[in-house]
Amino acid sequence: MNADDMLHRLAAPLSPARRLVTVVTLLGGLGGATVAGTLWATEPALPPATQAAFAAMVAIGLGWCGWAVWVLTRRTPLFARDRVVAGWLGLAASSLLAAFVTAVTISRDRLAPAALGMAAVLLAAALINLIRARSHRAALLRRKRELGGPR
Amino acid sequence: MTDELLVVRAQLGERDAFAGLVREWHEPVHAFVRRMLGPGAADDVAQEVWLAVVRGLPRLKDPARFAPWLFSIARRAVTNRLRAEYARPAAPGPGPEPDIGDAVVDRALVAAGLAGVPVLERELLILFYLQDLSLETCAEICGVPVGTVKSRLSRGRRLLRTSLAQKGHHA
Repeated sequence: MNADDMLHRLAAPLSPARRLVTVVTLLGGLGGATVAGTLWATEPALPPATQAAFAAMVAIGLGWCGWAVWVLTRRTPLFARDRVVAGWLGLAASSLLAAFVTAVTISRDRLAPAALGMAAVLLAAALINLIRARSHRAALLRRKRELGGPR
Repeated sequence: MTDELLVVRAQLGERDAFAGLVREWHEPVHAFVRRMLGPGAADDVAQEVWLAVVRGLPRLKDPARFAPWLFSIARRAVTNRLRAEYARPAAPGPGPEPDIGDAVVDRALVAAGLAGVPVLERELLILFYLQDLSLETCAEICGVPVGTVKSRLSRGRRLLRTSLAQKGHHA
Protein backbone atom coordinates (compact mmCIF):
# COMPACT_ATOMS: atom_id res chain seq x y z
CA MET A 1 0.00 0.00 0.00
CA ASN A 2 1.41 3.38 -0.95
CA ALA A 3 0.70 6.86 0.45
CA ASP A 4 -2.02 7.63 -2.11
CA ASP A 5 -3.86 4.41 -1.21
CA MET A 6 -3.68 5.45 2.44
CA LEU A 7 -5.02 8.94 1.65
CA HIS A 8 -7.88 7.29 -0.21
CA ARG A 9 -8.68 5.20 2.88
CA LEU A 10 -8.60 8.35 5.05
CA ALA A 11 -10.95 10.32 2.78
CA ALA A 12 -14.01 9.82 5.04
CA PRO A 13 -12.50 10.95 8.38
CA LEU A 14 -10.84 13.89 6.63
CA SER A 15 -14.04 15.01 4.89
CA PRO A 16 -15.01 18.61 5.83
CA ALA A 17 -18.64 17.83 4.93
CA ARG A 18 -18.72 15.09 7.57
CA ARG A 19 -17.41 17.49 10.21
CA LEU A 20 -19.96 20.13 9.21
CA VAL A 21 -22.83 17.61 9.38
CA THR A 22 -21.69 16.58 12.88
CA VAL A 23 -21.54 20.21 14.05
CA VAL A 24 -25.00 20.88 12.61
CA THR A 25 -26.29 17.73 14.37
CA LEU A 26 -24.84 19.01 17.64
CA LEU A 27 -26.47 22.41 17.26
CA GLY A 28 -29.73 20.90 16.02
CA GLY A 29 -29.92 18.51 18.97
CA LEU A 30 -29.14 21.23 21.46
CA GLY A 31 -31.52 23.69 19.79
CA GLY A 32 -34.34 21.16 19.58
CA ALA A 33 -33.95 20.21 23.23
CA THR A 34 -33.93 23.88 24.29
CA VAL A 35 -36.99 24.76 22.19
CA ALA A 36 -38.95 21.76 23.49
CA GLY A 37 -37.81 22.50 27.04
CA THR A 38 -38.86 26.16 26.76
CA LEU A 39 -42.32 25.30 25.43
CA TRP A 40 -42.69 22.67 28.14
CA ALA A 41 -41.63 25.09 30.89
CA THR A 42 -43.89 27.94 29.72
CA GLU A 43 -47.05 25.95 28.97
CA PRO A 44 -49.42 25.90 31.97
CA ALA A 45 -51.26 22.75 33.13
CA LEU A 46 -50.19 20.19 30.53
CA PRO A 47 -51.72 16.69 30.63
CA PRO A 48 -49.28 13.89 31.56
CA ALA A 49 -49.15 12.49 28.01
CA THR A 50 -48.06 15.87 26.59
CA GLN A 51 -45.49 16.28 29.33
CA ALA A 52 -44.13 12.84 28.48
CA ALA A 53 -43.96 13.84 24.80
CA PHE A 54 -41.98 17.02 25.66
CA ALA A 55 -39.67 14.98 27.87
CA ALA A 56 -39.09 12.54 25.01
CA MET A 57 -38.30 15.41 22.60
CA VAL A 58 -35.82 16.90 25.07
CA ALA A 59 -34.20 13.47 25.55
CA ILE A 60 -33.94 12.86 21.79
CA GLY A 61 -32.39 16.29 21.23
CA LEU A 62 -29.86 15.75 24.03
CA GLY A 63 -29.15 12.25 22.69
CA TRP A 64 -28.19 13.61 19.26
CA CYS A 65 -26.19 16.32 20.96
CA GLY A 66 -24.28 13.72 23.02
CA TRP A 67 -23.55 11.60 19.95
CA ALA A 68 -22.18 14.64 18.08
CA VAL A 69 -19.99 15.62 21.04
CA TRP A 70 -18.60 12.07 21.15
CA VAL A 71 -17.85 12.13 17.41
CA LEU A 72 -16.16 15.54 17.60
CA THR A 73 -14.03 14.65 20.60
CA ARG A 74 -13.17 11.01 19.78
CA ARG A 75 -13.61 10.31 16.08
CA THR A 76 -13.13 13.42 13.98
CA PRO A 77 -11.85 16.37 16.02
CA LEU A 78 -12.08 19.74 14.33
CA PHE A 79 -9.08 21.44 12.75
CA ALA A 80 -8.56 25.15 13.48
CA ARG A 81 -10.50 26.38 10.45
CA ASP A 82 -13.39 23.98 11.22
CA ARG A 83 -13.46 25.20 14.81
CA VAL A 84 -13.91 28.81 13.70
CA VAL A 85 -16.74 27.85 11.31
CA ALA A 86 -18.34 25.73 14.04
CA GLY A 87 -17.90 28.64 16.47
CA TRP A 88 -19.80 31.05 14.21
CA LEU A 89 -22.54 28.46 13.63
CA GLY A 90 -22.80 27.92 17.38
CA LEU A 91 -23.03 31.66 18.07
CA ALA A 92 -25.72 32.10 15.39
CA ALA A 93 -27.73 29.14 16.68
CA SER A 94 -27.48 30.18 20.33
CA SER A 95 -28.46 33.78 19.46
CA LEU A 96 -31.55 32.49 17.65
CA LEU A 97 -32.36 30.27 20.63
CA ALA A 98 -31.95 33.12 23.10
CA ALA A 99 -34.25 35.29 20.95
CA PHE A 100 -36.80 32.47 20.74
CA VAL A 101 -36.77 31.79 24.48
CA THR A 102 -37.12 35.50 25.27
CA ALA A 103 -39.97 35.90 22.76
CA VAL A 104 -41.82 32.91 24.18
CA THR A 105 -41.52 34.04 27.78
CA ILE A 106 -42.69 37.58 26.86
CA SER A 107 -45.59 36.44 24.67
CA ARG A 108 -46.90 34.00 27.27
CA ASP A 109 -46.30 36.38 30.14
CA ARG A 110 -44.87 33.47 32.09
CA LEU A 111 -41.32 33.61 33.37
CA ALA A 112 -39.24 30.47 32.78
CA PRO A 113 -35.98 31.10 34.63
CA ALA A 114 -34.54 27.69 33.78
CA ALA A 115 -35.08 28.19 30.03
CA LEU A 116 -33.79 31.78 30.11
CA GLY A 117 -30.79 30.71 32.15
CA MET A 118 -30.05 27.86 29.76
CA ALA A 119 -30.26 30.21 26.75
CA ALA A 120 -27.92 32.69 28.47
CA VAL A 121 -25.42 29.96 29.34
CA LEU A 122 -25.47 28.63 25.76
CA LEU A 123 -24.95 32.12 24.35
CA ALA A 124 -22.02 32.79 26.69
CA ALA A 125 -20.48 29.37 25.94
CA ALA A 126 -20.83 29.93 22.19
CA LEU A 127 -19.15 33.33 22.47
CA ILE A 128 -16.25 31.98 24.54
CA ASN A 129 -15.88 29.03 22.17
CA LEU A 130 -15.69 31.35 19.15
CA ILE A 131 -13.11 33.62 20.83
CA ARG A 132 -10.94 30.61 21.74
CA ALA A 133 -11.24 29.11 18.24
CA ARG A 134 -10.22 32.40 16.59
CA SER A 135 -7.32 32.87 18.97
CA HIS A 136 -6.09 29.29 18.37
CA ARG A 137 -6.29 29.77 14.59
CA ALA A 138 -4.52 33.15 14.81
CA ALA A 139 -1.67 31.54 16.80
CA LEU A 140 -1.28 28.80 14.18
CA LEU A 141 -1.35 31.35 11.34
CA ARG A 142 1.37 33.36 13.13
CA ARG A 143 3.51 30.23 13.48
CA LYS A 144 2.91 29.37 9.82
CA ARG A 145 4.17 32.83 8.76
CA GLU A 146 7.23 32.49 11.05
CA LEU A 147 8.06 29.18 9.39
CA GLY A 148 7.80 30.78 5.94
CA GLY A 149 4.58 29.07 4.93
CA PRO A 150 2.60 30.12 1.86
CA ARG A 151 -0.15 32.73 2.35
CA MET B 1 8.96 22.43 3.49
CA THR B 2 9.71 21.34 7.08
CA ASP B 3 7.60 18.82 8.98
CA GLU B 4 6.70 21.50 11.52
CA LEU B 5 5.28 23.74 8.81
CA LEU B 6 3.34 20.85 7.29
CA VAL B 7 1.93 19.98 10.72
CA VAL B 8 0.94 23.59 11.47
CA ARG B 9 -0.76 23.88 8.07
CA ALA B 10 -2.52 20.53 8.60
CA GLN B 11 -3.69 21.70 12.05
CA LEU B 12 -5.15 24.77 10.37
CA GLY B 13 -7.19 22.45 8.17
CA GLU B 14 -5.19 22.53 4.91
CA ARG B 15 -5.79 19.11 3.39
CA ASP B 16 -2.87 19.31 0.95
CA ALA B 17 -0.54 19.74 3.95
CA PHE B 18 -1.98 16.62 5.59
CA ALA B 19 -1.52 14.77 2.31
CA GLY B 20 2.10 15.99 2.32
CA LEU B 21 2.62 14.50 5.78
CA VAL B 22 1.15 11.18 4.70
CA ARG B 23 3.31 11.12 1.54
CA GLU B 24 6.45 11.85 3.57
CA TRP B 25 5.81 9.56 6.54
CA HIS B 26 3.67 6.71 5.25
CA GLU B 27 6.58 4.58 4.07
CA PRO B 28 8.61 4.86 7.34
CA VAL B 29 5.50 4.06 9.39
CA HIS B 30 4.53 1.19 7.11
CA ALA B 31 8.07 -0.19 7.18
CA PHE B 32 8.19 -0.02 11.00
CA VAL B 33 4.86 -1.82 11.31
CA ARG B 34 5.80 -4.36 8.63
CA ARG B 35 9.11 -5.19 10.31
CA MET B 36 7.46 -5.53 13.71
CA LEU B 37 4.39 -7.52 12.67
CA GLY B 38 5.15 -8.97 9.26
CA PRO B 39 3.53 -8.01 5.96
CA GLY B 40 0.12 -9.59 6.69
CA ALA B 41 -1.16 -7.00 9.20
CA ALA B 42 0.93 -4.03 8.04
CA ASP B 43 -1.71 -2.31 5.89
CA ASP B 44 -4.46 -2.44 8.50
CA VAL B 45 -2.22 -1.37 11.38
CA ALA B 46 -0.73 1.47 9.30
CA GLN B 47 -4.29 2.64 8.63
CA GLU B 48 -5.03 2.49 12.39
CA VAL B 49 -1.96 4.66 12.95
CA TRP B 50 -3.03 7.29 10.41
CA LEU B 51 -6.59 7.34 11.77
CA ALA B 52 -5.15 8.02 15.22
CA VAL B 53 -3.04 10.79 13.65
CA VAL B 54 -6.15 12.38 12.08
CA ARG B 55 -7.88 12.26 15.47
CA GLY B 56 -4.95 13.52 17.48
CA LEU B 57 -3.34 16.07 15.15
CA PRO B 58 -5.61 19.01 16.09
CA ARG B 59 -4.50 18.56 19.72
CA LEU B 60 -0.78 18.02 19.07
CA LYS B 61 0.88 20.67 21.27
CA ASP B 62 4.36 20.75 19.74
CA PRO B 63 4.32 20.43 15.92
CA ALA B 64 8.13 20.25 15.89
CA ARG B 65 7.93 16.87 17.68
CA PHE B 66 5.75 15.25 15.02
CA ALA B 67 8.07 12.30 14.26
CA PRO B 68 8.36 11.01 17.87
CA TRP B 69 4.62 11.51 18.33
CA LEU B 70 3.87 9.60 15.13
CA PHE B 71 6.15 6.69 16.06
CA SER B 72 4.68 6.61 19.58
CA ILE B 73 1.28 6.06 17.99
CA ALA B 74 2.72 3.40 15.66
CA ARG B 75 4.42 1.67 18.58
CA ARG B 76 1.16 1.69 20.57
CA ALA B 77 -0.67 0.11 17.62
CA VAL B 78 2.04 -2.56 17.33
CA THR B 79 2.01 -3.13 21.10
CA ASN B 80 -1.73 -3.77 20.98
CA ARG B 81 -1.14 -6.53 18.42
CA LEU B 82 1.86 -8.01 20.25
CA ARG B 83 0.62 -7.60 23.82
CA ALA B 84 1.72 -11.10 24.81
CA GLU B 85 5.25 -10.67 23.44
CA TYR B 86 5.71 -7.25 25.06
CA ALA B 87 4.55 -8.68 28.39
CA ARG B 88 7.46 -11.13 28.48
CA PRO B 89 10.26 -10.01 30.84
CA ALA B 90 13.28 -8.55 29.09
CA ALA B 91 16.39 -10.72 28.84
CA PRO B 92 19.23 -9.90 31.29
CA GLY B 93 21.50 -7.03 30.26
CA PRO B 94 24.84 -7.61 28.53
CA GLY B 95 26.98 -5.76 31.10
CA PRO B 96 28.67 -2.42 30.34
CA GLU B 97 26.83 -0.07 28.00
CA PRO B 98 28.27 0.13 24.50
CA ASP B 99 29.37 3.24 22.64
CA ILE B 100 26.64 3.56 20.03
CA GLY B 101 28.82 5.85 17.91
CA ASP B 102 31.33 3.04 17.34
CA ALA B 103 28.72 0.53 16.33
CA VAL B 104 28.66 0.03 12.59
CA VAL B 105 25.66 -1.95 11.58
CA ASP B 106 24.77 -2.59 8.00
CA ARG B 107 21.17 -1.49 7.36
CA ALA B 108 20.46 -4.34 4.97
CA LEU B 109 21.77 -6.85 7.50
CA VAL B 110 19.61 -5.32 10.24
CA ALA B 111 16.54 -5.62 8.04
CA ALA B 112 17.39 -9.22 7.12
CA GLY B 113 17.83 -10.47 10.68
CA LEU B 114 15.07 -8.58 12.51
CA ALA B 115 12.55 -11.40 12.53
CA GLY B 116 14.75 -13.39 14.92
CA VAL B 117 15.04 -10.57 17.50
CA PRO B 118 12.49 -10.12 20.38
CA VAL B 119 10.09 -7.19 20.04
CA LEU B 120 11.63 -4.88 22.68
CA GLU B 121 15.02 -5.02 20.98
CA ARG B 122 13.59 -5.23 17.44
CA GLU B 123 11.63 -1.97 17.71
CA LEU B 124 14.75 -0.09 18.81
CA LEU B 125 16.92 -1.60 16.08
CA ILE B 126 14.33 -0.39 13.54
CA LEU B 127 13.91 3.08 15.04
CA PHE B 128 17.61 3.72 15.61
CA TYR B 129 19.28 2.04 12.64
CA LEU B 130 16.60 2.00 9.96
CA GLN B 131 14.67 5.22 10.78
CA ASP B 132 17.80 7.12 11.88
CA LEU B 133 16.11 8.50 15.00
CA SER B 134 18.28 9.76 17.86
CA LEU B 135 18.71 7.87 21.13
CA GLU B 136 16.69 10.56 22.93
CA THR B 137 13.85 10.30 20.41
CA CYS B 138 13.87 6.49 20.65
CA ALA B 139 13.69 6.80 24.44
CA GLU B 140 10.74 9.20 24.16
CA ILE B 141 8.88 6.91 21.75
CA CYS B 142 9.40 3.80 23.89
CA GLY B 143 8.88 5.59 27.20
CA VAL B 144 12.17 4.38 28.72
CA PRO B 145 15.40 6.12 29.81
CA VAL B 146 18.21 6.62 27.27
CA GLY B 147 20.36 4.13 29.22
CA THR B 148 17.75 1.44 28.72
CA VAL B 149 17.68 2.23 25.00
CA LYS B 150 21.46 1.80 24.84
CA SER B 151 21.41 -1.51 26.66
CA ARG B 152 18.52 -2.82 24.55
CA LEU B 153 20.34 -1.77 21.37
CA SER B 154 23.45 -3.58 22.55
CA ARG B 155 21.47 -6.71 23.35
CA GLY B 156 19.59 -6.33 20.05
CA ARG B 157 22.83 -6.26 18.06
CA ARG B 158 24.03 -9.38 19.84
CA LEU B 159 20.75 -11.18 19.14
CA LEU B 160 20.81 -9.88 15.57
CA ARG B 161 24.29 -11.33 15.03
CA THR B 162 23.07 -14.66 16.38
CA SER B 163 20.00 -14.52 14.17
CA LEU B 164 22.09 -13.67 11.09
CA ALA B 165 24.65 -16.37 11.88
CA GLN B 166 21.86 -18.91 12.01
CA LYS B 167 20.75 -17.71 8.57
CA GLY B 168 24.30 -18.03 7.23
CA HIS B 169 25.19 -14.28 7.14
CA HIS B 170 28.41 -12.91 8.63
CA ALA B 171 27.74 -9.65 10.53
